[in-house]
Amino acid sequence: MQAETELNHSTIDKLTDTQTGWRRMAARAGKLFDDARLYPILLILPVILFFLVWNVIPTIWLIGLSFYKYSLISSAPERFIGVENFTDIMSDVRVWQSLGRTFIWVFVSITIQTILGGLLGLLFWRSNQMPGRRVALTLLFTPMIITPLASGVFFRFIYEPTFGIANYVLGLFGNQVNFLSDPNVAFGAVMFVDIWMWTPFMILITLAALGSVPKAELEAAEIDRLPWTYRLSVIILPHARYVLMLGILLRTIDSFKTLDLIYILTGGGPGSTTELIAVTLRRQAFEAFDLGWSSALAVILLLTAIAFTSIYIFILNQSSKQQGGVS
Amino acid sequence: MNRKRTQQTLYHLVLWLVALVFFAPVLWIILSSFKTTSGILATPPQFVFTPTFENYPDLLTRPNVTQYFLSSIVISLTSVVIALVVSFLAAYCFSRFKPTGTNFLMFLLLSIRMVPSAAVVIPVYLMYVAFGWRDTFWGMTLFYTMFSIPFSVWILKGFIDGVSPRYDETARVNGGSRLHILFRVILPQVTPGLVAAFIFNLIFVWNEFIFNLFLGGRTTTMIPVMFANYLYNDGGWDWPFVSTLTTVYMLLPIVAIFVFQKYLLVGMTFGTVRGEV
Repeated sequence: MQAETELNHSTIDKLTDTQTGWRRMAARAGKLFDDARLYPILLILPVILFFLVWNVIPTIWLIGLSFYKYSLISSAPERFIGVENFTDIMSDVRVWQSLGRTFIWVFVSITIQTILGGLLGLLFWRSNQMPGRRVALTLLFTPMIITPLASGVFFRFIYEPTFGIANYVLGLFGNQVNFLSDPNVAFGAVMFVDIWMWTPFMILITLAALGSVPKAELEAAEIDRLPWTYRLSVIILPHARYVLMLGILLRTIDSFKTLDLIYILTGGGPGSTTELIAVTLRRQAFEAFDLGWSSALAVILLLTAIAFTSIYIFILNQSSKQQGGVS
Repeated sequence: MNRKRTQQTLYHLVLWLVALVFFAPVLWIILSSFKTTSGILATPPQFVFTPTFENYPDLLTRPNVTQYFLSSIVISLTSVVIALVVSFLAAYCFSRFKPTGTNFLMFLLLSIRMVPSAAVVIPVYLMYVAFGWRDTFWGMTLFYTMFSIPFSVWILKGFIDGVSPRYDETARVNGGSRLHILFRVILPQVTPGLVAAFIFNLIFVWNEFIFNLFLGGRTTTMIPVMFANYLYNDGGWDWPFVSTLTTVYMLLPIVAIFVFQKYLLVGMTFGTVRGEV
């Protein structure tokens, strides 16, 4: 064994002597990587650099801004005002309302997407023999790959009261609904689009999660003729939980900051019935140009999001420990 | 036997129906791109119509459209590829050397995705103006690289965890260099994760709007921003343009999802499974 290793080393050395300059440089870089302590640092360095420049600096900048009165439209220079932005936000009813609306939005839409996606995923699970499965799955996944902006525009078109197809179909049953300007309907109508867009993602996640269930255990359950509910709770869920939770986590994060879709569909209206927190933030930052105030709100949101994600990650780690899986 | 067959056919029909229900609004977009303005606005909606192909050449007459398309393609591909390389190295480090605070760092990486982009864009914009990076190719590309890193690291770490360290040891004992282990031993085994991360990030960057609007400019504008710019025409929405551009623009992600579907399904397991799903 020892001799073989030495032989290999000498052949590599000989090779590098005769190779082109590029190869030699690669070999030298390889030597640099041989330092046992330096190697892990070298591996992680690029990501750390990216993280510092595009994440840490902006975050510090954001936190700094949140203590200033800084408006783009007033000619007054920015002025340090301490925590005034924060106290302003805390006493702003509109912010609280849109924050509450956002929590309802996230909770309801994620729940529906998870249940619907889970059920449809189960339905698609045994579809290996299906003719044209690949095409069907591609069609199924299209809603989530279209630019949200474009989906928004198109659902505006579909919801349009005079020539939209939604009202045409409803009209056949003698009903007319003004989806986006009726305060009672708008929130649901917008959420419907979100569910349409993201249920396919949960289907994809469910299919992947089901794939992580060991086949042997499933076959054993088949032979033992275990009832379906039992199979689901004892065999499938414990294995599938990790991937499902990750999927839900990713969806929650994105759902919390839904903006493009609402902006294009309703702009937060009618009234403020569809104004989620990201819409409030956008309005203050880019219509009122109050950068200090919006930065303060962003800091609050960041803290909220971190709190929620830590809970998720905690649950995730628990379930992965039980499963002995990744993370 | 026959009854089982009927059941099977019925089952497949239901699945196709589900897929088509989700696809219906998209189909409506595609159909609209072959209609004239009056055809699109007709009541009742036209399901049968004589297609017009004028909208597609018309798309090319819009100013800078080829440049925007090029920007979209070049910027998203470059940024995602860089992100994958960088994330692969970091994920390997996290998985094998487990430096102190690995979990914390992974969590921190995810945190950039938590704040509404409308908030992050303010300091990033100020930073870009201060450094003179606005409307530069690398400014835009490297921003999107950072955008794609967290998800890639998460996916790839799961997959590398699934590759036994014995592979590393064996290769090492047999005199393989560290680079050899990285790219010839580990890399081939995590292909599904790489492909899944590639596609997902490609779609995210491909569709990103706000950052491009603020950080981009004449030379780095991508299609979604162009889309927003030309929405209105003569005071109304320019429906033929919107539907045509959407149809063309979604081609790349659809093709990608069709071609790499197998990897996508395995990839989304975050490495908890190997082989077919």
